Amino acid sequence: MNCSSEELKAYFLGELASRDKASVEEHVRACQNCGEELERLKLTQTALLMLEEEEVPRRISFVSDKVFEPRWYQTIWRSGPAMGFASVVVLAAAILVHGFAQYAAAPVAPTVDTAQMEQRIEREVNARLDTVVAKSVSDAQAKQAAEFARVLDSTEKRFETRRQADLATVQQAAEYYEKQMSRWQVAFNDTGSAQ
Amino acid sequence: MIFREVEDRDLIAKARRGHVDAYNVLVSRWEKRVFNYLLRLVGHREDALDLSQDVFLKAYQNLRRLEDPAKFPGWLFRIAHNEAYSLLRKNRPEGELAVEPKTASESGRMFPIELSLAVQGALSRLSDDQREAVLLKVYQGFKFEEMAEILSCPVSTVKSRLYTALDLLKQTLAPVKMGGAE
Repeated sequence: MNCSSEELKAYFLGELASRDKASVEEHVRACQNCGEELERLKLTQTALLMLEEEEVPRRISFVSDKVFEPRWYQTIWRSGPAMGFASVVVLAAAILVHGFAQYAAAPVAPTVDTAQMEQRIEREVNARLDTVVAKSVSDAQAKQAAEFARVLDSTEKRFETRRQADLATVQQAAEYYEKQMSRWQVAFNDTGSAQ
Repeated sequence: MIFREVEDRDLIAKARRGHVDAYNVLVSRWEKRVFNYLLRLVGHREDALDLSQDVFLKAYQNLRRLEDPAKFPGWLFRIAHNEAYSLLRKNRPEGELAVEPKTASESGRMFPIELSLAVQGALSRLSDDQREAVLLKVYQGFKFEEMAEILSCPVSTVKSRLYTALDLLKQTLAPVKMGGAE
């Protein structure tokens, strides 16, 4: 082998077949230049590998997302055993149907008047709608009447309580007034008799 | 190969049936690699994170189109490549450099942090295509054929980009000793 920079690099990078590898090794032992070149390559690689790997600043992870998940039929479709089982079931069902099915004249499809059907549906819907609306209105009115009666009753009671309290106050004031008056009367009489 | 109780292909099969939790496990296995690949390609942390999220969302939406689950890594990085290049084409003017490189010979022996900066600088001097070839080969360990599928180009193009990139990186990271002195 002659000096070949390419072969030396391929050897250094572990990309040569074993026969070519032996040939390069033999050459390197005999050729000082190629020996030194190989040393420089090793030194370069050592320096490159001094560069340490950095940790990932934030862990990368994914959460389950329905968008990326396969549909149930895709899961079944991709599952070999499931598909096999499904095939067997379908085949068995087909055999059973074939064995028991009676040959009969094809049934005549009934004619359907769609316009009439639509009218019927509309009538039905309107009728039910009226019932529901009427019930709702009546319920709301009953609720309002009950609420009005409750408020009225409460107001009346409150008014009566206040009236009783006012009467008591007036009565107390009148009694106090009478007592004062009688005291003054007595005092006035005493003063008159003394003179 | 690290032993895994549940293989990626099992998770892919479950995710295809709509199990988001299974997909999240798959994401947790690949997010760091994808994020770092994108980070080194686009050179911006927030962009790389946004792109990573887009990549995994697109992968989930298209998981049913993946014919051979064994090809998931290449398929995933192909999506990542497409996403990254959409952004690069949109954002970056041609020939813009992120960091000025520093060679090993300028300061003699380099400390790890200096070496790390030198590597970043050297990678940033490469074209996007060359850098991506290095990322896929050196950091992700893909074979030439897989890289060709990811990048949608012939194997000869992959080799050309990678070999040129290695020569450029070598000049910065393993310079030739002048007159035998370091």
